Amino acid sequence: MERLFFPKERLFDFFNFVNEEYCLYLPVRIEGRQIVCDYNFNLPSADYILKKYSLLKKEDFEFNPYRTIEPLKSFLNYPKEIVCEYFSKELTIQDKKIAIFGVKNCDLFSLKIQDFVFLQGDYTDPLYKKRRENLFIISSDCLSFKEVCFCLAYDINPYPESGFDLNFSSLDEGFLVEVGSDKAKALLEKKGFLFEKIPSRLNTELLSKRENITTQLKEHIKSHALPKKEVLKEIINKGYNSKLWQEEMFNCVECGGCNFICDTCHCFLLSESGSETVFKKIRSWDSCQYANFAKEAGGANPLNTRAKRLRNRFLKKFDFFIDNLGLPACCGCGRCIETCPAKIDIRKILKSLYEESLSAN
Amino acid sequence: MKNPYQPIEAIIEDIILETPNIKTFVLRPKEYIEFQTGQFVEFGLAGVGEAPFTPSSNPNVKEKIELTIMKVGRLTNKLHILEKGTIATLRGPYGKGYPLDEFKGKDILIVGGGVGLAPLRSLIYALLAHPQDYKNIIIRYGARTPQDLLYKKEILAWSNFKNVNLVTTVDTADNSWKGNVGVVTTILKDLPLNIKNAVAIVCGPPIMMKFTTLKLLELRFSPESIYLSMERNMSCGLGKCGHCRIGKYYVCRDGPVFRYEEIMNIADIWG
Ligand SMILES: Cc1cc2nc3c(=O)[nH]c(=O)nc-3n(C[C@H](O)[C@H](O)[C@H](O)COP(=O)(O)OP(=O)(O)OC[C@H]3O[C@@H](n4cnc5c(N)ncnc54)[C@H](O)[C@@H]3O)c2cc1C
Ligand code: SF4
Ligand code: SF4
Ligand code: FES
Repeated sequence: MERLFFPKERLFDFFNFVNEEYCLYLPVRIEGRQIVCDYNFNLPSADYILKKYSLLKKEDFEFNPYRTIEPLKSFLNYPKEIVCEYFSKELTIQDKKIAIFGVKNCDLFSLKIQDFVFLQGDYTDPLYKKRRENLFIISSDCLSFKEVCFCLAYDINPYPESGFDLNFSSLDEGFLVEVGSDKAKALLEKKGFLFEKIPSRLNTELLSKRENITTQLKEHIKSHALPKKEVLKEIINKGYNSKLWQEEMFNCVECGGCNFICDTCHCFLLSESGSETVFKKIRSWDSCQYANFAKEAGGANPLNTRAKRLRNRFLKKFDFFIDNLGLPACCGCGRCIETCPAKIDIRKILKSLYEESLSAN
Repeated sequence: MKNPYQPIEAIIEDIILETPNIKTFVLRPKEYIEFQTGQFVEFGLAGVGEAPFTPSSNPNVKEKIELTIMKVGRLTNKLHILEKGTIATLRGPYGKGYPLDEFKGKDILIVGGGVGLAPLRSLIYALLAHPQDYKNIIIRYGARTPQDLLYKKEILAWSNFKNVNLVTTVDTADNSWKGNVGVVTTILKDLPLNIKNAVAIVCGPPIMMKFTTLKLLELRFSPESIYLSMERNMSCGLGKCGHCRIGKYYVCRDGPVFRYEEIMNIADIWG
C-alpha cells in the first residue's frame, strides 16, 4: 500500500481538511487511575477519550499512545436508540460522516466481529450499515500500552496493517502515513498531498519502532501466561464444569460494565415506545450478565446463576464466535478488566482454564 | 433498504378460545407473509412489545395466518384481552422450518405436548395436503387435563385420514374422559412404524421434549431422525441480538427446528 510522509507541523492542516469533509474526533488525555504493575514495568496511567475536533483547543489534542477508553462500536450502534418507527413513518437515518483519529489495532480487530454481526447473515442492520459506510478510520501504531493490554496474546499486533483508511506511525521527524482505502487516497490527492518515495531510513525506523513495542508488550503479557488462540475453544469447553466460574463470579454485582465497554460485545434488547400515531422500537445494549438475559416465558432461565452467565460470556466469545467466524470475540483491549468493580480479570480466567486443562491431560 | 425491525400491520379477524388459557388469533396481515411450516413470526402490539410465535395454520393459505397463544406473562396477558378488529404487529417469517422433503416416503411420528401442538398443527396441514407422499402419519398428543386439549375438531377430522393414526392422553382425567391417562411418553408404544424409515417430530415444554427424546432413543430412533423445536429467549429474531444462543447456533437463525443430532453434544440443551 502507498505511504507518504507527514511532517509534524502539517498535522493540524490535515485535521482541518478532514474536518471539512467529516466530523472529526480526536483523542484527549485525561488522568486515569494510577496503575500498579507487579513486574517492574513502568506503565502509563493516563487515559484518552475521543472528543469532537470542532469543540477542542489545539493544545487539548494528544497523540494517544494506546487505545481510547470508549470502544469503537459506540460510534456505530448507540447505547440506546430508535431503530424503527411505524406504521406509517420510515426511519430517517442521519447521514453524518465521522472520522476518528487514534483508532488502534485492537479496535480494528473488533470491527470484524461487529461487521459480521450487523452486516452479514440474512439481515443487514440499516443504521450500522449507514454509519459504517460513513466512517473514516484514521488508525495509528501504539507507542506504549496499558497494564491491561494483551492483544498480542491473540497475535493481534500493536500496530495496524489493514482495515483502516489511513494509518499514522509516529516517527522522530513526523508521521509515516499508510493509505488503506481508495477514499482516503482520493481525499489526500484532492488536498494536494503528494505521494513521494519514502526515504529508506524512515522505513527502517518504522520497522524498529514496531519491533520494539512488540518485544516490550510480549514481555509484559508473558507474566500472565495466556493460552494461545488456537486452544481457546478447547479450554473453554473443557472447563465447562470448572469451579472457577463460581469462584470468579462471587463478587459480580451484575452491572453489565464488562459487556458495555467491550469492543466486541454486541447483544441488544428491543423495546417499545410511542403514542397513538407513531410507534417506535428502541434498541438498547444488553448484557448477558443480567439475571433476565435468557429468561423465557413462564420463568425458565437457562442462565439463572451468575456463574452460568459468566461462563456464557466466555462461551460466546471463544466457542460461538470461533465456530461461526473463525475468530475469538476478544481483541485483548483489557477494557473489561479496567471497568469491573469486582476485579474480574479475563486474563486470569483464561490462564486458570488453561492450567486446568493441562492438569486434566 | 428494507428495515428488518419494521413490523407490518395485521388485523385480528377472529379469536378462537381453545382452552381456558389458550386462544387462536386469526390474522390478516396487510402484506402477504409466506411462511414454511415450522418457521416463526414476531407478533405483538404496537407500543407494548412482541414475542416469537410459530403459526399454527396451513402454510398454503397466504392471506391469513393463525397463531395459537398461551397466556403466560406480560405480553400474552395483554393479547388475551384483545377484541376482534384490533390492529396488531407482525414481522417475519424467521428461521428454518420443517424439511418436508426429508420426510417424504417415510413414517412420520408427531409428538406434541400442550401448546406445542400449535406448530405441529401447521405441519399436519402441510403433510395432509399431500398425504400420499408419506407412509403412516402417527400423532401422539398429551395435555394436562381434557379441558387443555387443543383443536378438538381438527383432531377428529385428522383421524379420518386413512394413513393417520392418532392417540391423545391427559395427565389428569375427569369423569367425562374415556381416553388414556398419563404423560405423553406412556403412549409411545406399539407404534405402527418402521423405525429404520421413520422420523419423529417433537414440540412441547422442555421437560416433555427431554423425556420424549430419551424415550425415542430407547425405541431406537437415531439422533438424526428426531426433530425438536427449541425454545430460547428471543428479542430480534434476526440473528443479531444474541439472546437465543445454544452452542454455536442461534435458535432464531439456525432453528427453531433442530435435529437432535445437531444439538445433542451441547451441554444443558434442555434449559
Ligand atoms: C420459536 C418460538 C416459537 C414459539 N411459539 C409459540 C406458540 O406458537 N404459542 C405460544 O403460546 N408460545 C410460543 N412461544 C413462546 C412465546 O414466545 C412466549 O410465550 C412469549 O414470549 C411470552 O411472552 P410474555 O410477555 O407473555 O411472557 P413473559 O414471561 O412475561 O416474558 C417473556 C420474556 O419477555 C421478557 N420480558 C418480560 N417483561 C418484559 C418487559 N417489560 N420488557 C422486556 N422484556 C420483558 C421476560 O424476561 C422473558 O424473557 C414460542 C417461542 C419461541 C422461541
Ligand atoms: S472481553 Fe475484555 S479484553 Fe476482550 S475485547 Fe472485550 S473488553 Fe476487550
Ligand atoms: S463488569 Fe464485573 S461486576 Fe460488572 S457485570 Fe461484568 S463481571 Fe459483573
Ligand atoms: S433472537 Fe436475536 S439473535 Fe436470535
